[in-house]
Amino acid sequence: MGKRRKVILPPELPPETPDEEFEISDEDVEFFSENRSFTNFLASFDKKKIDKHVTRVADKSEDEIERLYERRNRNNAPLDSRENDLQVDPVDALPIKTLDGKLQYRTTKNVRSEEGNVSTDLTGEEDGEKQGTNLIRLTKAERNKKLKKEKKEAKKLKEDEDIAPNSPKEKLRSEVLKEVEEEISAEESFGAKKIKLAEIGMALLEGPEANIRSLKELLDFCKDRDPQVVKLGLMSMLAVLKDIIPSYRIRELTDKELAMPVSEAVRKTRYYEYTLLRSYKSYLQKLIELQKEAIFKLVAVRCMCTLLEAAPHFNLSEKLLAGTVRNISSSDDVIRKLCCEAIKSLFKNEGKHGGEGTVRAVRLIAQLVKKHNCQLHPDSLEVFLSLRFDEDLGKHENKAEEKNKFTKNKKGKQEPMKHLPPSEKKKSKQELIAKTRGEVYADYKAVSFAPDSEKRQRMQSDTLSAVFETYFRILKHAVDASDPRFMSETSGFHAQPLLAPCLEGLGKFSHLIDLDFMADLMSCLKQLSGFSSGTHLQSKTFNVKNSDSNRSYNGLTVSERLQCCIVAFKIMKSNLDALNVDLQDFFMQLYNLLLEYRPYRDRGEVLAEALKTMLWDGRQHDMQRAAAFIKRLATFSLSFGSSEAMAALATLKQLLQKNTKCRSLLENDAGGGSISGLVVKYQPEATDPYLSGALASVLWELSLLSKHYNPSVSQMASNILSMTNLKPTQNIVNPSLIALNPIQAFWESTVQKELLKPMNAKVPPSLKRKRKREQDTEYYVLDPQKLRNIDSEVIGEEEVKLRFEEHFKVLRDISENERFKGELNRTLASISLYDEFKREKLEKERSVALKSGKKKAKVLVKHSSSS
Amino acid sequence: MAKKLGKKARKFARKGLQTVQKQKRKQRTFFKKKSAPRGRGLNGEAPDENEENLNHERNVSQLDQNVGGGHVFDKNIGNLLGEEDEVELEDDFSDSDGYLSEDTECPYISENENENISRDDTARGTFQEENTEIKMQIAKQKKELDKLLAKDKEFAKFLESRRSQLEQYDRMVSDDEEVEGDEEEEEEEEQEEQTRQPVTQTTLDVWCWLVTEDPNSPALRNLLNLYHNASLFGVITFRNEKSAQIVSHEVYSTVINFVLCEADGIFRALLGVAENSNAERILMKLKSSKEWLNVGPLVKSYFKSSIKLLNQVTDTMLLVFLLFRLMSSVVFLHAFSSLGRRLIKILVRFWSTGEDQLSTSAFLLMKEVASQLSSDYFNICMKAMYRTFVARCKFVDDSNLARIDFMKSSFLEITSLDVQQSYLVAVSSLQRLGDVVKHSSTTKKKEDLMKINNWQYINCLNLWVKFICLNYKENNLQQLFDKAVRVIFGVTSLFTGPRFLPLKLKCAQMLNDLSLTSGHFIPVSSLVFECLDLTGVVTGKMDGDEEPRLKLSTLLKVPGNLLKSRRFQEECVRSSVEVLCTHFSQWSFHVSLPELSTIPLILLKRCHEKATVESVRRLIKRFIDQAEQNRDFLQMKRDGVSFSPNDQTSIDNFLLLEKSNAKSSFTQFYASMLQNSQIRNMVK
Repeated sequence: MGKRRKVILPPELPPETPDEEFEISDEDVEFFSENRSFTNFLASFDKKKIDKHVTRVADKSEDEIERLYERRNRNNAPLDSRENDLQVDPVDALPIKTLDGKLQYRTTKNVRSEEGNVSTDLTGEEDGEKQGTNLIRLTKAERNKKLKKEKKEAKKLKEDEDIAPNSPKEKLRSEVLKEVEEEISAEESFGAKKIKLAEIGMALLEGPEANIRSLKELLDFCKDRDPQVVKLGLMSMLAVLKDIIPSYRIRELTDKELAMPVSEAVRKTRYYEYTLLRSYKSYLQKLIELQKEAIFKLVAVRCMCTLLEAAPHFNLSEKLLAGTVRNISSSDDVIRKLCCEAIKSLFKNEGKHGGEGTVRAVRLIAQLVKKHNCQLHPDSLEVFLSLRFDEDLGKHENKAEEKNKFTKNKKGKQEPMKHLPPSEKKKSKQELIAKTRGEVYADYKAVSFAPDSEKRQRMQSDTLSAVFETYFRILKHAVDASDPRFMSETSGFHAQPLLAPCLEGLGKFSHLIDLDFMADLMSCLKQLSGFSSGTHLQSKTFNVKNSDSNRSYNGLTVSERLQCCIVAFKIMKSNLDALNVDLQDFFMQLYNLLLEYRPYRDRGEVLAEALKTMLWDGRQHDMQRAAAFIKRLATFSLSFGSSEAMAALATLKQLLQKNTKCRSLLENDAGGGSISGLVVKYQPEATDPYLSGALASVLWELSLLSKHYNPSVSQMASNILSMTNLKPTQNIVNPSLIALNPIQAFWESTVQKELLKPMNAKVPPSLKRKRKREQDTEYYVLDPQKLRNIDSEVIGEEEVKLRFEEHFKVLRDISENERFKGELNRTLASISLYDEFKREKLEKERSVALKSGKKKAKVLVKHSSSS
Repeated sequence: MAKKLGKKARKFARKGLQTVQKQKRKQRTFFKKKSAPRGRGLNGEAPDENEENLNHERNVSQLDQNVGGGHVFDKNIGNLLGEEDEVELEDDFSDSDGYLSEDTECPYISENENENISRDDTARGTFQEENTEIKMQIAKQKKELDKLLAKDKEFAKFLESRRSQLEQYDRMVSDDEEVEGDEEEEEEEEQEEQTRQPVTQTTLDVWCWLVTEDPNSPALRNLLNLYHNASLFGVITFRNEKSAQIVSHEVYSTVINFVLCEADGIFRALLGVAENSNAERILMKLKSSKEWLNVGPLVKSYFKSSIKLLNQVTDTMLLVFLLFRLMSSVVFLHAFSSLGRRLIKILVRFWSTGEDQLSTSAFLLMKEVASQLSSDYFNICMKAMYRTFVARCKFVDDSNLARIDFMKSSFLEITSLDVQQSYLVAVSSLQRLGDVVKHSSTTKKKEDLMKINNWQYINCLNLWVKFICLNYKENNLQQLFDKAVRVIFGVTSLFTGPRFLPLKLKCAQMLNDLSLTSGHFIPVSSLVFECLDLTGVVTGKMDGDEEPRLKLSTLLKVPGNLLKSRRFQEECVRSSVEVLCTHFSQWSFHVSLPELSTIPLILLKRCHEKATVESVRRLIKRFIDQAEQNRDFLQMKRDGVSFSPNDQTSIDNFLLLEKSNAKSSFTQFYASMLQNSQIRNMVK
């Protein structure tokens, strides 16, 4: 350290004295002014040199000086740290260079102390570089190794490392290196792995038979530490499998078969199949395992869904299915959508798996619903809507059997009876076929999946039973929950998330429901739709107390209740054409629900659908009922928006057309109504359509509706009004409007659709021109009196004068103020300038003084020499 | 009465105070502690802050418009009118300095005894104190300086060399003001000032006399120049003191007063048109007459100076006076379009921010401009007003309800001057409003919905609805009407739930208005059903009467904590009953009223059963009783007629007599209900 300070430094400068303190004697001034040349030396001063000396580093260029300082500082610091013997961990990152040139390591390096040579410790950059090259060299070696044995890379490395270090220092160092290198190599190895994956994948796709072993390698990637690699591994495995999975199921070999000697080709195939199957199995296991981890969940689910879609027939598909169904109600939107889509495609492409997948999936979903007590996401039940049932299947066979099947289904939750059709007829048939087709058929059967119709039928009935079991379970659950006794638990929440898709499904498959079931089902629906005959009044009071307006007392929304009615009607329609069960209760529901409907809170399209299924499609209605509905619909359209009104009017029109007698409503029969029923006077508030006495009323609403702002509504209204003049047998006034059913009518005039109507930017001709220069100004909105008063409020001239004077004074004062301030500022500035002035003056004087000093000196020298 | 200072003064007050404080901080030794100047200085500051706030608001609104995204809607409406009239045509304004060449023969009478104005007539309090104080300081500092100068003779030279630097200090006080002035028209009138003599009161009196005797007198030019000087007073006097032609307050006020009062008459006399002849004749004259060549520059100078004066003066009453004076000569503006624009700009500012009287008179003048001059002016006025309205209606509360109301109605007054022109604007803005709804109904995103659920949107919609209502009867506005109804229904379709009830109620009111003017049937009742369903759920504590009344008219969305409060429910039911009231009263003599009221009555009865709050129950009960009475009355009458629903003419004539002299209790009830609602919604 001492060595470094060899440079001889110039003496320190004397302490600075302020210029003011120098007293310059007049003599000196005189001397210098006389001998100006004495000051010459001042002019020839090499300021640079002086500066350099003053900064106390001799004979170095500026750059060097800088570095010198840096090094000096740095050398001081690390030595200290070495002395303190810090508990240092090996370095794992590049050093940081602070402003004063200190190199900061995340942990100071011990290695350096061994090397001990300070001189090697050059600038930080050099140091870093050195280390860098070191690292790179090592990793290069690594890479070579990697190229040789890709997979064992990590292990090998460890071994190498284990052997190498023999001293603790070495070990330390190698550990450091390892860590650093891992970090750096991670990226490279990731790239390498990607390439490797691609290579294996390509090879597998090119020649699956030859490269089937590589499947295992692929599988190994799925066990990688890097999640990214795992994901890639999973995806490439999926891509490969999707391609090479055969279109048949691989059967396990029996012992006997194994024992038999086989040809080379067969052995190869067996080996191939065996390997494929084993890899597939472990892949599935891996998927199911990874599915539980959050980061892999999406990938795993995606893989499973894709596999399920691609190969629902292959071995172990039940596992896949189970995995998929488990996620069908996931809270994650993406996963749920994926699973639902997979299941839907399973249902749609039954040919791929011969229907077995369907049965299994439906059963699994049924179990899921049961397990979760009907609290699932609606999407999970919506998949049932993609199911397809072949009604003709087995029709030519035993009808009784089908009936049996449905009776069996009825018991729903009970174990379905194993009721296999005996069918001798079929046996004989098959024998016949066997005789004619012989082995061809056998062969065909062996290869193809297509099950015979018997099997398919059985599967279908299984599916159906599972589906309806689920539906009924949900209904039952809803009914239970809607029981007022349980209200306390369920009120406030939408307790029936599955009800809507369930009702939809019931509506869709209504034709497949067993007759024996109907009664129960209907009562369920009745209850759900809000009707309970005996307790109606009670329920009404309950309704009043229950303040939550959005739901009725049973916790269902208006839309859901309407849906119940729709389902009931659909079921009845598709099954009971012969049986004429009156659905009066449901009509009554609809009649009252019309009042509960709130636009935009409830789904208008459901209402329109209800109107369509219950009134529009219906056959001839009872006159009383028809009249009641006609009246209510007309009233309804007076209070609600145009789309609802259109749906109602379309229905009304249809009703009027079908029930010709009701057209008397269009006319004001002064006599009071010859055909009025039990109730003579119209009771608008009646809850029962039969007791409303609507026949006694007149459809006055239509006259107001014809003034409706919406042209289509008003047209419709006047259209209906014009039906008065038609003879009972005559129909149809305007074909364009009659074509609309309530649903169409609803969608035709929704707000969104109305908004699309363009506006004509042209100015209509009848607009008022500018009212030019009218002397007496008229006012439309503002109060003219008030405006005129303003006039009188204007201040008089005197006041104006005064105010202007005041204004003037203020302005003047302000400008004066401004001026003064300016002056003040100027004065102050002048005073402050005096300081500057003094300084300059001093400087001048000093320079003069210096000159004179020199002169004096010279003079002195002269004097001395002469003397 | 607090007097306000000129703009200049306000600026100065702010600046001056700052300087004072800075100085205080720097030189505490020189100053004895002194509180900030009291009196007018502070008074001047308060309105200044106000204006700053307004400016800030304006800036914010502009910012909002530029932000896009969140306020695309603003942008839509803001840009609706294009920027064409933003461009200021400076041509005929800035080319001349505003001075007219004078005849030299005009007498200048100098009375020296009048010149030495005594100090005591300075404005009370304001800056006098401060000025004297500063003067003292100056004296003090000067002394100091003199000492220094005496000490060192070279210092004087040195100071001389630094003169330019020192002069900067001089300017510092006032420099940046010119930059920040929002009306940049304070042009630097640093023209070579012929040494104008200061005008004395006597001179002025003589001039006035000359001009009244003979309008053609050359003194007129002198007068107008003096007027121009007066308008500039305070802006430039400080800089070139030589130009201070006006030295006494009497001269100042007299010249302004005289010119403002007499100018119109003089111009008319010069042009040879009668005092009360109508605008067409004047316009004719303007186009082709020799007189105009002479009078034109005079008029221009007059307007220019007046506009400057409008910018200078802040006293409301003075402004009102100025505006009234200008009103009579509005016709002359025809020849100077850019002056007109400038005037309109100022007027719109007064209209939108000024006090009651000022904004009203600004509006009156604007109306005059719009109706008297060409349709260009009308367009400029209307668009500027609309833009300002859009920018200023973002928030509604008790304090600005009246202002927005005034802006709306005065805008309507202007638009109805020329329905044809405003129709186009109405079409395009309604189209835009509709587009916003359309867009939101497809995306249903929250930010899109926010574009509708704000006051700006609702106010604009309301504005055009009012426009339609006002002009529907005399014009064919069917298309606008259709669009407006669709847009309103579109808005209501986007918002469900009780929180948006105020919004829905507003929509219902608009629909009622539209229905009333057009005679079309618009079903509004379903909009309030949701509100009726809500009653009965009072969870909040029974708050006492001292609670302030909740005002639905200043709300769009109800804060969640109020949703189940008693106050809110009361208001809600009351408002929905009012809506139903309007609806029923419109059709109260229509044959189908019984049917119309059926469903609402059923729901109201249910609501009555549920309601727990006594006041709500009473209200509903009264309404039900009256509506039933109405229904029964109509049913009775209806039983006696023989026509059928398809007999439109008979239906139209049904109960016409009763309708015309409505004395029945229900009509009176409806009327009183509506009246009450109007009173309630007024600002208190």
